[in-house]
Amino acid sequence: MSAESPKNVILLPQTNQLLSLYTIIRNKETQRSDFVFYSDRIIRLLVEEGLNQLPVEPKTVSTPTGEVFEGVKFLGKICGVSIIRAGESMEQGLRDCCRSVRLGKILIQRDEETALPKLYYEKLPEDIASRYVFLLDPMLATGGSAIMATEVLLSRGVKPERIFFLNLISNPEGISNYHKKFPDIKIVTGAVDRGLNESKHIVTGLGDFGDRYYCI
Amino acid sequence: MTITMVNDEQVVGKVNLKRIAPSSGESFFTSSSLSPTANTVYDRNIDAGLDQNATSPDSNIGTNTSANETRYIPPWTQPYIIGVAGLSGSGKTSVASKIIEELNTPWTVLISLDNFYNPLTPEERETAFSNEFDFDSPSAVDLDLCYECVKSLKEGNKTKIPVYSFSKHDRTDKEITIYGANVIIIEGIYALYHQKLVDLMNLKIYVDTDLDICLARRLSRDILYRGRDLEGALKQWSTFVKPNADLFVKSTMQQADLVIPRGADNYIAIDMMIKHIQKQLLRKSREHLKYLEKLNNSLNKVELKNIINLIVLKETNQISAINTILTNKATSIDDFIFFFNRISSILISKALELLTYKPSDIPIITPTNVPVDNALEVVEEAIAVNIIRSGDCFMNSLKRTHPEIKIGKLLIQSDRKTGEPQLHSIMLPKNVGDKSLKKKILLMDAQIISGAAVIMSIQVLLDHGVTMEDIIIVCYSATEQGTRRILAAFSKVKIVLARIGSMDGRNKECDNDWWFRTRYIDTMYYGT
Repeated sequence: MSAESPKNVILLPQTNQLLSLYTIIRNKETQRSDFVFYSDRIIRLLVEEGLNQLPVEPKTVSTPTGEVFEGVKFLGKICGVSIIRAGESMEQGLRDCCRSVRLGKILIQRDEETALPKLYYEKLPEDIASRYVFLLDPMLATGGSAIMATEVLLSRGVKPERIFFLNLISNPEGISNYHKKFPDIKIVTGAVDRGLNESKHIVTGLGDFGDRYYCI
Repeated sequence: MTITMVNDEQVVGKVNLKRIAPSSGESFFTSSSLSPTANTVYDRNIDAGLDQNATSPDSNIGTNTSANETRYIPPWTQPYIIGVAGLSGSGKTSVASKIIEELNTPWTVLISLDNFYNPLTPEERETAFSNEFDFDSPSAVDLDLCYECVKSLKEGNKTKIPVYSFSKHDRTDKEITIYGANVIIIEGIYALYHQKLVDLMNLKIYVDTDLDICLARRLSRDILYRGRDLEGALKQWSTFVKPNADLFVKSTMQQADLVIPRGADNYIAIDMMIKHIQKQLLRKSREHLKYLEKLNNSLNKVELKNIINLIVLKETNQISAINTILTNKATSIDDFIFFFNRISSILISKALELLTYKPSDIPIITPTNVPVDNALEVVEEAIAVNIIRSGDCFMNSLKRTHPEIKIGKLLIQSDRKTGEPQLHSIMLPKNVGDKSLKKKILLMDAQIISGAAVIMSIQVLLDHGVTMEDIIIVCYSATEQGTRRILAAFSKVKIVLARIGSMDGRNKECDNDWWFRTRYIDTMYYGT
């Protein structure tokens, strides 16, 4: 894991607790119920960190005893956009923090013939251009799908500085590919792994997140 | 107000240990001067297997007595001890019950010397069953053991009292665990006989009733309630009770501070005695409060942000916004619960970071057969202890973060009149004091205001064998004063907070702000 975070990469504090959570979900011996539970815990931390990036504005409220409290309030509307299927695992974590948050979906799969990602489906909130967007995909490998998904968002009028890409595991190559295209988009990640192997899987990684979360 | 037996061994015979149950319809939460609630803290953790020697307050706090540190002395370290002696049938039990009833303080324990009868040999048991054993001799009672028990209680320790069975004429394998007693009444014909035991007492009472009245009472009790015949009862009286009374009991009247003629019927004497005890208890309660106050003066002047054992969540935009919502009177209960659950998840996660982790023993391999570099695993068990009910606000988030966590509970309430915090109930997981188990205790309370409830809870945990370093207090908001008091008394506990006030008021939020001063979190969270 890299020691320093490059610009616009927000790495969760690498506490012992977080490392032990990652140890569980990386371990191939871990059963699905534990995998889901501990992934969900990390996702919750990622979502909280993502939400921390959002601006607030001053707000004065009065307390039940009529005293005045100078506080702040959330500013702007948000929505989540998950990349089907693995990204959907992160929707509940976002809903746990923002109850009725709008959720968009994008399906991107690798074309068997060209080996390039291909957009199959998108369903996004009408007013997405006026919202902060949390792009959800647990694994940032080469960044191919995320780049394509982000292009969809930008084509719908979302401003780059209003997009936050949340993932559990990234790697330097994926981050660099993504930031070459979108230097202003913040990546919120829990782990920056060593790199990619010849079949473009993240090393260390944890295997196929979607399979482990939904099937195996 | 009723007197109830604590143990279910009603058949056993004589009164063992009593408590006054709360009067019907009153919950502890509404205890007031009008609703008498005197109850003893009966520890449900009887089989905890604690090493009593290792868990005395001294041995725990001993690590913490550097020159400028203050020691917390919980009220149960100085219980008020009353001895009530008198002849058989003189009305000791009635006088003791009267004291309990009139005092109406929590944690009044009545210990009958009947619990301390020596176990009998098989031969002695035979004579006992034929009414020929001398139960009225001082040697029939293990007064040394009684002394040890009372001494242990006086030192504030969790103490086990034996239970004697009159149907078997033997000590049973049951024990009653007493902890946190504020007033202890020792009642029995030989209550003032054993000098060392007498020396522990704050007030010594002798109930002096005419011998013929004693006989009359004893006869009616034996015949009507204990199924004995007149002949047997009279034989006991003349063979054992009266000679022993003349020989051993009457002389103990000299030890007494107060002799009450005619027993419980003597309203004037009892009234005067109660007034005296109340005065003493009030003084004790004032001293406790003064002590808590004094912790204040001994606060160290290290800046809050430089105290390593104090962890306050970084005030990010989200945290500030959530705090605003939780402070706003326009917030609906629905929103309040949602946002409190959110911030408590963050707090619990922060607290779990303080557990001990170690590199995994076995290599961890991913499904793609890559070894994991930074494999860590947690090596401690986390145990939650909630202070009822404000600590219960963390339950929802706790169950979602750590579903199988063990949860203990403590009930501590402030006295309406004096404001003194009082310990009412303890329910702790069995292994909480197990020294061989690596663990951290998350002590949960939504707010720290004076700090008294948390200070008392920490003392309870220490008395149950928990090590100070293993305690993590998880709390939403705290006053600087309360926080400093806790750390002044227990410097090695850790405190995880979302929000802290400031004593000097220069900061945006200060201790005098309403949301620090008032216990409102649980009111909003539960809607009541």
